[in-house]
Amino acid sequence: MPTTRLATSNDLPAWAIVIACILAAASLVLLVIEMRRRERGGIGILVTGVLALGALALAVMRPVRIAARESVVGARVVVLADTSRSMALASEAGGSLATDVQRSRTRQKTRDDVVAALSKAAPDARVLELGFADGPPKPLAGETARGQRSDLGSAIRALAAMPEERPSAVVVVSDGRLDDPQEDAPKPVLAELGHTIHAPIHTIATTRNELPDASVRRVANATAAVAHVPLPLRVDIGCSGGLACEKLTVTAKELREDGPPALLASGIADVKDGKASVDLTVTLDRAGVRILEVGIESPTGDAIPENDRRLITLNVARERVRVLHVAGQPTNDVRALRQWLKSDASVDVVAFFILRTPADTPGASQEDLALIPFPVDELFSVHLPSFDAVVLQDFDAQPYGLERHLPALARYVRAGGGLIMVGGPNSFVAGGYAGTPLGEVLPVSLDGAPGATAADTAPFVPAWTEPGRSAPVLGPLRAIVGDELPSMPGANVLGDVRPGGVVLWTHPTRTTKSGAPMPVLAIGDEGDGRSIAMGIDGGWLFEFSELGARTAGRGHGALWDGLLGWLMRDPRFEPAQVDLPEGCIADVPTTLRIRTAGHALKGESVVLDVTRLDKSGTAPVHVEKPLGDGDAPLEIALPPLPMGGYSARLRLGSGPTTRRDFACEAGGDEWADSRPDPERLRALAEATGGTFAFADDVRAIRLPKPTVVSAERHVVPVAPPWTWTLLAATLLGAHWFMRRRGGLS
Amino acid sequence: MRRSYLVVVFMLTVVGMALLIPQPARAFGDAGGFDPRILLTGSQTNAARPSAPGRWSWELVQRTSAPARLRPSQVHASDAAITDGPFLYWSGDASVPALTSAEIAGLRRFFALGGVMLVDDAGVSNEGAPGAFGTSARREIARVLPDSAPITIGADHVVFRTFYLLRRAEGRIAGPKTLEAIVRGGSAQVIFSSHDLGGALARGPTGMWEQPVIPGGDVQRERAIRLAVNVAMYVLCSNYKDDQVHAPFLMRRRALSPHSEP
Repeated sequence: MPTTRLATSNDLPAWAIVIACILAAASLVLLVIEMRRRERGGIGILVTGVLALGALALAVMRPVRIAARESVVGARVVVLADTSRSMALASEAGGSLATDVQRSRTRQKTRDDVVAALSKAAPDARVLELGFADGPPKPLAGETARGQRSDLGSAIRALAAMPEERPSAVVVVSDGRLDDPQEDAPKPVLAELGHTIHAPIHTIATTRNELPDASVRRVANATAAVAHVPLPLRVDIGCSGGLACEKLTVTAKELREDGPPALLASGIADVKDGKASVDLTVTLDRAGVRILEVGIESPTGDAIPENDRRLITLNVARERVRVLHVAGQPTNDVRALRQWLKSDASVDVVAFFILRTPADTPGASQEDLALIPFPVDELFSVHLPSFDAVVLQDFDAQPYGLERHLPALARYVRAGGGLIMVGGPNSFVAGGYAGTPLGEVLPVSLDGAPGATAADTAPFVPAWTEPGRSAPVLGPLRAIVGDELPSMPGANVLGDVRPGGVVLWTHPTRTTKSGAPMPVLAIGDEGDGRSIAMGIDGGWLFEFSELGARTAGRGHGALWDGLLGWLMRDPRFEPAQVDLPEGCIADVPTTLRIRTAGHALKGESVVLDVTRLDKSGTAPVHVEKPLGDGDAPLEIALPPLPMGGYSARLRLGSGPTTRRDFACEAGGDEWADSRPDPERLRALAEATGGTFAFADDVRAIRLPKPTVVSAERHVVPVAPPWTWTLLAATLLGAHWFMRRRGGLS
Repeated sequence: MRRSYLVVVFMLTVVGMALLIPQPARAFGDAGGFDPRILLTGSQTNAARPSAPGRWSWELVQRTSAPARLRPSQVHASDAAITDGPFLYWSGDASVPALTSAEIAGLRRFFALGGVMLVDDAGVSNEGAPGAFGTSARREIARVLPDSAPITIGADHVVFRTFYLLRRAEGRIAGPKTLEAIVRGGSAQVIFSSHDLGGALARGPTGMWEQPVIPGGDVQRERAIRLAVNVAMYVLCSNYKDDQVHAPFLMRRRALSPHSEP
């Protein structure tokens, strides 16, 4: 842009011009004082004096005309706009989030208005609009309020590490409810952020209004949740915006697939100064991913009822696996399984073997027998939930009163327990399990018709199925025995595999009623739990046989390592790993990431079913995709899901399923405390040399001025130097003349 | 003559009908049941008390829920089939020759898999002093398991309460109150009996006991049978009766039992 302006001669230093101006001003002051002392006239003296002083000054400074082509470079300003979920909250009270009117008043809307106003207020500035939530900032365009964190610290550190031009100023537009810096961060910590970016951080608060809101602000728990071990929870409750809260009931429930949420603990929160804390203790019986719902009763007038419930996902570990081993008679197979269970220090075994039936005649009084009553009622009613797995080995339900507990045992499986039925002459059909509730949780059907064939006592060698060859559950066994299996002395007659079941071994000649090869070993999911049907009693032959001798008997332990590990959802025996890299927020699309760890066969299809744990309302999601040939994780996009607990079941080809439970929260941590925090933003601005303002006063932000850059410059004297000297001399002469004429010397 | 003929026909009819009555399967076959397999070494062709293992199984089946092979098998120490089952019964009444390297290797494979062996000295003296078999068998077992030595196991060991509550060990000979055992990995893998346990069990084809018990009496024979049943249960259940749910209960019962033996 061409510009023209006047300036002084280039050969004068700045101090000379200053001295000249000072001397001229002093002379002028003396002249004025002199004129004020005169009683009359003197206007001519004053005029000529002023003119002479001006001409003298011009003779010293010799003005020049500068013609230049200049450009203005605006300061680089980075606007960091909060894109976390809390920006979806309303800026002011009234209405519901569901209404369009209220949506137009969200903090996000205010934020966008502020960002637009900033650009207008500083038209010369080079404004870069970024959004921050978690990790490095991203371009703001199109970013909605969906971040599950508001980590300003990470955003600024990432900005400072960028190889691009460092900003002259950073402007943060947020509600102030940040994860980093924290609420009580001291001034040096805040100042450090400014030092990191070497620029002042200006802050603009989108709102100062607190909504009338009660919420579960935080649920703190021990770092590790262990099954059967009481887990303390500290629940922080908040009440803000003038909402009337005194005593609120706090509950902790476990979301379960087999029924409504189970109440684990409750307490009363006595709210004082808008805050309360309640200590609860919950005990989770089942290991694996468990979802707790911690909530309060919504008080009247609560503007954000969505944050009255938090869904906490806990990965519950086992201190030791508790196994109930019940055997109908002592055999070599019972011996082998017991020795394996007892050899594993991580397994806590409670065993009951039937050593004597009513038909046996021990020939001794009860006092001489090492027999104790079989506490079937106590075991299968009181203590059942404390076990992680139940092994029913060659056990007849009827004579020992187990029949009446079969419904409870089935519920135990559906609630997350593990069940293994091991074969023998008293198992499956012969054990009276056909047509019972327990039969419905086994992975195979049982023939309940009168006179149904219970067993085939012809020796046979089980045959591997294709899923059996590829399933990780039998991976350790295959690593030892390969395709070879020992000859079994007989098999229980089992029916077709039930939905959700997978057959790993079949009988080489027998078929089911449908004509399929008869299952010998099958696994399956049922509700929250898993079950295994093994229709043979020759597992001990993996130890004591020609094959066992060749493999040092390791096959038996490897078989049971896999079976019990799969039952306990040990990741080593899962065909795939499923996780949610960005978590799940209600009503927002989410992504599941699937790693197959090389277990899957290339070219197989992936079938994913996502169902709501409480089975209410929401339609299940069904996705089928080819697995592809690469080893890269497979990502499956899920549609927006309503708030609640979900179970994702993944099946690779015809193999066993992998399950991953997860929770979708309405707001998560970002909505837990709905109060804006402008004071934190003000403190950050003060600590870094920036300015703070509310959204309605954006112009109060002092942004850096632009830089002027000249591309071409021409300097031309206004007049030759002698002209200024002659003019000064002439005017001085005129002034001297006037002074003499006026009677001055 | 005609009357006795009728009696014989009647008896045969009864036996035949009894054989026709279907028996409940105690296992898929009897492969998984207790099998008191006779161990043969050197040129040995049978156990010292050849009828004892069958009687052992019979008593086990009658008294307990455990299935057993009523016709036990026998296996030579050098035979690959030695690892086909978890139990071996080695008895004799004379000194055994030194085991060959093949026999030692076979036995080592058997023990490596967790097998259990009962060494029963049929040549024990009436006072319980080990006979030539007992002494030589200990010597040979020491060659098989050179890193392990026998220890004394008494009434506090789980073998004495796996089914019956026993105060001491007894067989055809009352002998010492204890047994000896080589314990490996917490389990008694070799049990030495100096009581001729097989002698108390052996029963001839006529149903008569083959050996008198010393000092004598049916009570001692019954206790010997109970010990044999307990050994079988130990093979099948290992230390099941040592479990926490059993131990206090059984200790209390034993303390209160009026049938206390010295």
